[in-house]
Amino acid sequence: MKDARGREVGLHEDLAAVVIGLGIVLLALAVTWQARPVSDAGSRARHPKGWPTPLAATVGMPGAWADAPLDAFRDKQGDLAAGAIVLGMGWVVAIVAAGVVLGGGSVRACLPGAILIAGLACLAYVLSGQKVVKYYNLEYPLWALAVGLFVGNAAGVPRWLAPALVGEFLIKTGLVIFGAEVLVSRLLALGLPGLMTAWLVTPVVLVATYLFGVHVMRIPSRALCMTLSADMSVCGVSAAIATGAACRAKKEELSLAIGLSLFFTVIMMVAMPPVIRWMGLDPILGGAWIGGTIDATGAVVAAGESLGKQAGEVAATVKMIQNSMIGLIAFAVAVYWAGWVERDPAGPRGTLAGEAWRRFPRFIVGFLAASLVCSWLHTLGPEQALWVDGATTGFTLKLRGWLFCAGFVCMGLQTSFRELAPYLASGRPVVLYLAGQALNLVLTLVVASLTFGWLFKKVVEP
Amino acid sequence: MPRGERRAALRLVAGAAVTGAVWCGLLPRLLSFAPVARHVRLMEERGVDPAAMYYTELERLPRCPAWLADRVVLWP
Repeated sequence: MKDARGREVGLHEDLAAVVIGLGIVLLALAVTWQARPVSDAGSRARHPKGWPTPLAATVGMPGAWADAPLDAFRDKQGDLAAGAIVLGMGWVVAIVAAGVVLGGGSVRACLPGAILIAGLACLAYVLSGQKVVKYYNLEYPLWALAVGLFVGNAAGVPRWLAPALVGEFLIKTGLVIFGAEVLVSRLLALGLPGLMTAWLVTPVVLVATYLFGVHVMRIPSRALCMTLSADMSVCGVSAAIATGAACRAKKEELSLAIGLSLFFTVIMMVAMPPVIRWMGLDPILGGAWIGGTIDATGAVVAAGESLGKQAGEVAATVKMIQNSMIGLIAFAVAVYWAGWVERDPAGPRGTLAGEAWRRFPRFIVGFLAASLVCSWLHTLGPEQALWVDGATTGFTLKLRGWLFCAGFVCMGLQTSFRELAPYLASGRPVVLYLAGQALNLVLTLVVASLTFGWLFKKVVEP
Repeated sequence: MPRGERRAALRLVAGAAVTGAVWCGLLPRLLSFAPVARHVRLMEERGVDPAAMYYTELERLPRCPAWLADRVVLWP
């Protein structure tokens, strides 16, 4: 962790994120196993989202509301759920404090700031829960950044808040926990056509967009090009968070990538279904096209479902395959950055692997460890699959949501509007996004037509 | 209260007022606008959360639909 002067003190931020993140994943698995159902433990029909976990009651999130913001603190049955939400905020405060302690700081100094950050994260969730905002895919990271930016720029950051501004640490810890949801086995969910659509198009679009941004558009920041390319070609905000952390993108660059992704996702979510209907595409092909091109997972399902049930199912599954590539892509980006981009040609000569390891972001190791262990457990049998699904969907996904949300609040608080202005004024990131998305649209349609519409299409006997 | 702090407080109050007016006034009204209402109703009926960031956040975990194997060779 770094002190106010930017010097490294205590446990390294990445190691602290790995220790806390993996500890939480193990806690979730242990508690869910301890409370496993005595009957029908392997029945997916009985437990569609995995085994229920007692930890679910310790982390609630504000829900959807239409015209009364206080409805966000009620559950789907209309009962007050404020207790679980306060506990969710408590997790944020506890993890900020744990990170500060591991970094050699003082709990007492960071507590007031941690409580304010948890409160602002809750406000961001409430803003993102309004039904118009929610059902048009304006996700919570956008509002967390907006809340932080507004408070930081309108009122400034008081001195007592500074010790709790550990946004990068919160996002890295959230990413390690997020690893438990990144199941490699999901890559095979749609057979060879799905695998080909994801593996042929996504890496090609990612690399082509990055190279176009760096060498043709000459955008000075390689990290911005990579973060934009990943969030556009893989799966939106979650990919931007993972790759942005892997290539050490600045907070303004990550904010810009997320803002652009969400803006164009809304447009594509509304525009693609009528375009597909107009083109007269088959629901399988239309669903695969939507799943491969729209950034955000929820928007993919929304656009697919508005075409029909079949298109919705295919779109969601194709997107899930792309989702599962996050771990591999974040790892590849971290290796490329440590081994090539950040290599100092004038620095002392060592082996490439040795130098790359020295600069490699250690939290990626924790992220991959969580992903590989949970992927392995998931393949052991139906009971183990329900165990992992229960621990993640019941607990870790909500907790990492709180950590991402609080991390983005911190980023917003530390960002000045003046730092964002040059990125917006040049307009080049927007052009890069549009160029990459155009390539993505064409390539995905071509490959999906080849795989789903021709190569692997079954001939129906008359 | 020093002048700088007073101005900061005023900016915060003004921002909170604008946010309140948009979220409690404008957005709820937009919900009664026919195309928006139709979109929200369709999503609610089908249990779709368009704000889901990752597939684990969806109401139903995606699975390969059973009918797809009748139309596409999944593993040649």
